Amino acid sequence: MVRLKAVNADAAARPERSADKEAAANRARFEDEALKHLDALYRTALRMTRNPSDAEDLVQDALVRAYRFYDRFEPGTNFRAWLFKILTNTYINSYRRKQGRPQESSLEDTEEFFLYNQLSGDGGERVTDVEGTVLDNLGADAIQRAIDQLPPQFRTTVQLSDVEGLSYAEIAEATGVAKGTVMSRLFRGRRLLQRALWDQARAAGFTSGSKVHQDSDAGQASVSNGAVARARGTAR
Amino acid sequence: MINCRDCARALNPFIDRELSDDDVVQVRGHLEACGGCLHLYQFEESLRRLVRVRCQEQGAPASLRERISVSLAMERVRLEGRGRAAGMQRDQLST
Repeated sequence: MVRLKAVNADAAARPERSADKEAAANRARFEDEALKHLDALYRTALRMTRNPSDAEDLVQDALVRAYRFYDRFEPGTNFRAWLFKILTNTYINSYRRKQGRPQESSLEDTEEFFLYNQLSGDGGERVTDVEGTVLDNLGADAIQRAIDQLPPQFRTTVQLSDVEGLSYAEIAEATGVAKGTVMSRLFRGRRLLQRALWDQARAAGFTSGSKVHQDSDAGQASVSNGAVARARGTAR
Repeated sequence: MINCRDCARALNPFIDRELSDDDVVQVRGHLEACGGCLHLYQFEESLRRLVRVRCQEQGAPASLRERISVSLAMERVRLEGRGRAAGMQRDQLST
């Protein structure tokens, strides 16, 4: 009777132990696979925390968690989206609280295709490329500052889509929302980003430009178009 | 054939490659026929490229890569220790 019990217990224990071994083998692969996404994870963490030292800690915490729970990852599903999901959850659980209330964004909402409309002249000439416009002068820092001005939920979605190239489905998985929500966040987030990029271009371009009018919106708009025309003129 | 308004609405999903094959055909057809929408499309795509290329210049610091390798190694030791402890517990239960 006792012997029978022992055999049963052993039989029950064995598949678990081979599962342990399999988990260990999987974990050995984890580091190689995960580190392929390190740059993308770090860039996204930097947009979430807006602070390099917090971003490093966040990525480290997220990857250790992912490693710990790697046996729960279903092979054949999207590993990159799964990593970003853990990054998002780690941020929400540990870092967002620390950062306190998010600052309200002061960005003005705009119409869609704001930059195209700003840069295309009143005379009907159409701009077909950012090259040669004031936007082309924007470096990585200025563009990242622009993204950082978006409210958090739009910021992460825009980052994952427009910088990291995740699909709508991957972003939905990573941020824990429906695909429709991803699409509406992208729609609004990109509109806000265009406004923020314009503000950055104006801040950068017009301090080095010849003259700045700040008396009215209309004045700024006409100066902008002039500057764009000048910038295009010099580039072509 | 879709009109300019429908084309503008489909433009971002088109650039994102998230449209169905049928819708892609519709948008392409409109862009071939409509210069205004084609210019808008070209501009939006170049803007997307600018943001992606410039932002991807930044990567994780090398020190972070090292730090993570170390913390994963430590976590592995911890997990394997726990795995061994669980195995020993099972062995004791089965005798």
